Amino acid sequence: MQTQTLTSQSVAPSARAGSATNRFLAALCCALAVAGGVLLVAMALMSVASIVGRWLFAAPIIGDYELIEIMCAMATSMTLPYAHFIGAHVIVDFFSSRFTARASLRLDGLASALLAAVAALVAWQMAQGLHELRLSHDASLMLNLPTWVGYVPMVASFALLAVVAAYRAVVPTPAQPT
Amino acid sequence: MSALTWGAVAVVVLLTLLALRVHIAVAMFATGLMGYVWVAGGAPLLASLKTMAYARYSNYDLSVVPLFLLMGQFATHGGLSRALFRAGHALVGHWRGGMAMGAVGACAGFGAICGSSLATAATMGQVALPELREHGYSERFATAVLAAGGTLGILIPPSVPLVIYAILAEQNIAKLFIAAFIPGLLATLGYVLVIAIVARISPSDAPAVGAQPWRQRLKALGETWPVLLIFLVVIGGIYGGVFTPTEAAAIGAVATGLVAWRNGGLDRRSLVQCLLGTAGATGMIFLILLGSDMLNVFFALVQLPTELAHTITQSGFSPLGVLLVMLLIYLVLGCIMDSLSMILLTIPIFFPIVMGVDLWGLGADDKAIWFGVLALMVVEIGLITPPVGLNVFIISSMAKQASMRQTFRYVLPFLASDVLRIALVMMVPSIALVALRVF
Repeated sequence: MQTQTLTSQSVAPSARAGSATNRFLAALCCALAVAGGVLLVAMALMSVASIVGRWLFAAPIIGDYELIEIMCAMATSMTLPYAHFIGAHVIVDFFSSRFTARASLRLDGLASALLAAVAALVAWQMAQGLHELRLSHDASLMLNLPTWVGYVPMVASFALLAVVAAYRAVVPTPAQPT
Repeated sequence: MSALTWGAVAVVVLLTLLALRVHIAVAMFATGLMGYVWVAGGAPLLASLKTMAYARYSNYDLSVVPLFLLMGQFATHGGLSRALFRAGHALVGHWRGGMAMGAVGACAGFGAICGSSLATAATMGQVALPELREHGYSERFATAVLAAGGTLGILIPPSVPLVIYAILAEQNIAKLFIAAFIPGLLATLGYVLVIAIVARISPSDAPAVGAQPWRQRLKALGETWPVLLIFLVVIGGIYGGVFTPTEAAAIGAVATGLVAWRNGGLDRRSLVQCLLGTAGATGMIFLILLGSDMLNVFFALVQLPTELAHTITQSGFSPLGVLLVMLLIYLVLGCIMDSLSMILLTIPIFFPIVMGVDLWGLGADDKAIWFGVLALMVVEIGLITPPVGLNVFIISSMAKQASMRQTFRYVLPFLASDVLRIALVMMVPSIALVALRVF
């Protein structure tokens, strides 16, 4: 299993290294992940505000559950490309421990290609779903928030994940020692 | 093909993909996708993909996971681990092996505000390992203590894997947290006992250090109040039904963030680090969630869980034997996989089986809760077993002399205490369930 991101020192190790493409993708992934994190903090603050309102003034934020759902969907998907960029998506390296480094690297490239295909498929179908939701005017119960809004960052995130994974398929990086 | 044949084929495909270093999430997704297309065709698959990810990621109960991860990150940067370790040191450091006991206690305390074992091990390791070394503890023993102590991170609520179990098994998160509490305390106690025994057998590994005056002890203990307060509000709020788990996690994240900021551990740079750390762990978990969803859509399509449960309940195997086999599968999987992937991969299959067999005459709700705690304890063992015990890996990477091999050797007594506790909770379910009756 790869572990490097699970500890606290997880700022993208390769953010300042490598080619211009690498740096560009790193910056993009980090920015999206930080935005996702900020969204999470906002979600937490909103939830606290709603609880305080409920307790002190019997006035919670209307639709706070809906907001949490939509914010959570956005924020969590926004972390996916970054997680792949730093190699956080876990693999089982038990069986391949006897492989040569080169063979492992080649397999990692193929695995990234497969991930890229999966992410692209999800992004494509979610884009279709987004389009249909816009036509059907599906919206949330309390706030009448259009559901497709939550799809926008998700489609973008899965698309970026596909791009990053495709890049990794071509330029695989050996797992960094922790 | 029958459901069971489909299941067998799926397992073979999945294992092949895993052996070829495909990401666990992608391996699950691809296996599920291929099976689904084979059985039902491509069009329904494409249709279900339009909404699958959003439905999963916007799940209200699941939003507790990134919030707990954020809270853990803030706790890591907030200097709380240091305060906890100092308190443990001040209180019992002068006992034989006392500083190691203090470190385990600090791990338990940190586990009460952090839902991840790796984060607990890493954080406590950074704080405690240098001090243990400085006070004459052998590194091989200190690393083993911290690796084992780290597993308290997920056993003592909050616990991310337990949240995932609750969602998969459609159980009440609060009840699971209550049920895990006593086994968590038992684990802490077991580790303390192990340290006491090792310190007596081999005093050079764990020397006693000078006692501190009581005033200093109380002061050190006083420094840990934020941890106690946050734990009481978060877990007490969930237990008491005052907040939903998501609300409690939101409060916990905000409170821990404030404490970290007040302690000066949260400037702009470390805030970005916290957010990125949260993002890395969140992304890892949520990609696996998507993969396991796809796999389970396929399993449900061929009715594997119900068929398998039916076959096993009708087979006349002893229920306890069935349970033992499942726990053994966890032990084996634990050698190659992380705990979350294991839970996500197995619970949809195992849970219907557990619910189908009679175990100690437990009611459905009790059985579900008890099995969750049992499964959690077994999967966390994988964190300290060779070949890839992640906790051991993380801690020994901080060590100067002790090799992973030496650490694994010293982890053995802790493993024995784990196995003993699991057997105990397995044979006496009320250890987990009694807390549910009291609260």
